[in-house]
Amino acid sequence: MTTPLVRVSGLTKTFGDTAVLKGVDFEAAAGTSTVLLGPSGSGKTTVLRSLDTLEIPDAGVVGIGDVEVDFGTLPAQGRDREARLRALRAQSGIVFQQHHLFPHKTALENIIEGPLVAQRRPRDEVVAEGRALLAQVGLEDREDSYPSQLSGGQQQRVGIARALAIKPRVVLFDEPTSALDPELVGEVLAVIKDLATQGWTTLIVTHEIRFAEQVADQVLFLDGGVVVEHGPPAQVIGDPQQERTRTFLRRVLHPGA
Amino acid sequence: MRRLLVRSLAAVVVALAVTAGLGAASPASAADEPVVVVGTEGTYPPFTFHDPDTDDLTGYDIEVVKAVAKEAGWRLTFVESSFDSLFVALDSQRIDVIANQISINPEREAKYGLSTPYTYSRGVIVTPSDVDDITTLKDIKGLRAAQSTTSNWAGVAKEAGAKIEAVDGLSQAAKVLEQGRADVIVNDNIAILDYLATSGTKKIKIAGEAEGQQTQQALMFRKADSQLKEQADAALQTLRDDGTLKRISEDYFKADVSIEDGGEAQAEGRAGRSALDVVKDQAWPVLKALVKVTIPLTAISFVVGLALALGVALARISPRRLLSVPAGVFISIVRGTPLLLQLAIVFYGLPEIGLNFDRYVAAVLAFSINIAGYAAEIIRSAILAVPKGQTEAARTIGLDYRQTLRRVVLPQALRTAVPPLSNSLLSLVKDTSLASTILVVEAFRVTLNAANESTEYLALLILLGFYYWVVCWILSIGQRRLETRLDRYV
Repeated sequence: MTTPLVRVSGLTKTFGDTAVLKGVDFEAAAGTSTVLLGPSGSGKTTVLRSLDTLEIPDAGVVGIGDVEVDFGTLPAQGRDREARLRALRAQSGIVFQQHHLFPHKTALENIIEGPLVAQRRPRDEVVAEGRALLAQVGLEDREDSYPSQLSGGQQQRVGIARALAIKPRVVLFDEPTSALDPELVGEVLAVIKDLATQGWTTLIVTHEIRFAEQVADQVLFLDGGVVVEHGPPAQVIGDPQQERTRTFLRRVLHPGA
Repeated sequence: MRRLLVRSLAAVVVALAVTAGLGAASPASAADEPVVVVGTEGTYPPFTFHDPDTDDLTGYDIEVVKAVAKEAGWRLTFVESSFDSLFVALDSQRIDVIANQISINPEREAKYGLSTPYTYSRGVIVTPSDVDDITTLKDIKGLRAAQSTTSNWAGVAKEAGAKIEAVDGLSQAAKVLEQGRADVIVNDNIAILDYLATSGTKKIKIAGEAEGQQTQQALMFRKADSQLKEQADAALQTLRDDGTLKRISEDYFKADVSIEDGGEAQAEGRAGRSALDVVKDQAWPVLKALVKVTIPLTAISFVVGLALALGVALARISPRRLLSVPAGVFISIVRGTPLLLQLAIVFYGLPEIGLNFDRYVAAVLAFSINIAGYAAEIIRSAILAVPKGQTEAARTIGLDYRQTLRRVVLPQALRTAVPPLSNSLLSLVKDTSLASTILVVEAFRVTLNAANESTEYLALLILLGFYYWVVCWILSIGQRRLETRLDRYV
């Protein structure tokens, strides 16, 4: 049996007096899509941000591919700590809820910034790759546009291309459509669905239940800082075993009911 | 982070070295002749003033010290400054000798090295023309006397019970008296005669003798420089013997003031000119000072200040207290003390602990430190105004701290920082006029000298104001262009 690409165990995190993660465990195989569901405050975004070291968990282990970091034994400061975090960070690319594109750079410049500056790869090579990525997200004619000249959906698609450009093992999506006007949601979800079919490994935090059903190989339902239920969408969404999962799905699928 | 700090510091050092080069514009010294720096007002005719036609520094004291230098084998450099600043400048080794009608008195003899006298003169009391009841020193008790505070004549007036109104020189004192802001002036007979003749004023008059104030004037050195003083004494003796002193004196006063009872001195004054002529004459020298001193001083100080400010701002934001606390203290001190005080500390104070900077370097240092204090807060808040998501996005695509700062944060912070930084720059353009207090001959000092010399204050000060305004106007156009450029992607 092969080792799963993504391995998370015993993840805990406290903000002030609030324990946000109380021991999160899960795994995700290469080439699969994992959707994290849960009410706000359940810790799903914190899990995602921990994988990209935007949050540093208090304890627990995160492994992606060959890189594994045990946050419980991570030094509080120093070169060793930075080197380990940098190695883990390089394994994933993240797409933010608010795209966080660099406003002073064009679409193409946003995309090639990572490979060009951080990875120090040759310019013509990364420009060619960047153009290919723009084509992949359907924006081949907008490479010279600044983010302010793009619609919300287009901005988010550039954000996806930027995350892919550093060639991560895993692509993380933090509520990628929550900030979009409803009519723009479809184009972004279509791009994410494409990635899943092309063999990218994705972890997606979303409230789009129908989308989760279509794209997910695995659904994690989080509540109160732990994974309450996990399994294929047909099971977790179609036939939830836990009362908390059922309550959540009822609220999301029938708001106002 | 540390490398950025090191780079900022390196930039500062280079800039200081460059300004040191600028400041060292004084003539390169021949190896064998010592360079002696002469301090003088340049605004006290007929002793030390600028020839209205050639703008060259001249006057009785200037010609005497030049003759002494020729005898003694010195190379001279002249530094012009207000009378009060001359004493501090001598103490802090900015200058080596004062040639400015320094009267010999016991206090000065105790503290300084005074040459043998080259002027014998007497004091007079000056009042408004319509005042008749002041004729002796006894009458000035309780009155307001306009004087340079460190001058011997201020001591005489104070002794007589007058209250001292501090001014920068004789022509300012005369203005203040004419305007009714003071009641009396006690000064040298010849200087007053010269002022009356030059200005043609009928508003003030010599009201009487400052009795018992027959004084002698000498070159003043530091006590420790006894060799210079001895050389000067020997040279003065030669010049007295060969009639040179007599000739110089008669050129200026039609009498020999270098000996006792050498005849009654007269002053012809210089031809009075209209305000328009004065402004025409001074338009170019003032502009030259603005372009050659004020603007470079501003530009270099601003660039050095910004480099420092970036380092201070980053230190201030740093989570390490070892960096953030000192940065906070620095900002607090700079913003909590007057710029004038900072200049004075760097130029007059630091030499006492062995840090003796050239005046231009001292000015750049003080101005950059001041700019750094204010700009650090502007840069800090501009950096903090960049959304946190920008830094996060930069980190997740692998940029390190410096790359994130340089490529993502600072370009965006710049847009926020440009308007307040432009304000700082505009303030600095005008604040450089304070450098006139530390012997830097910039546009304000040049204008003030010309005004003291011609007594045309209003016209010349308006001229200078106009120049400053034009510079600031051009800068604000630049600011608008820059903002438009930075707005292109917003």
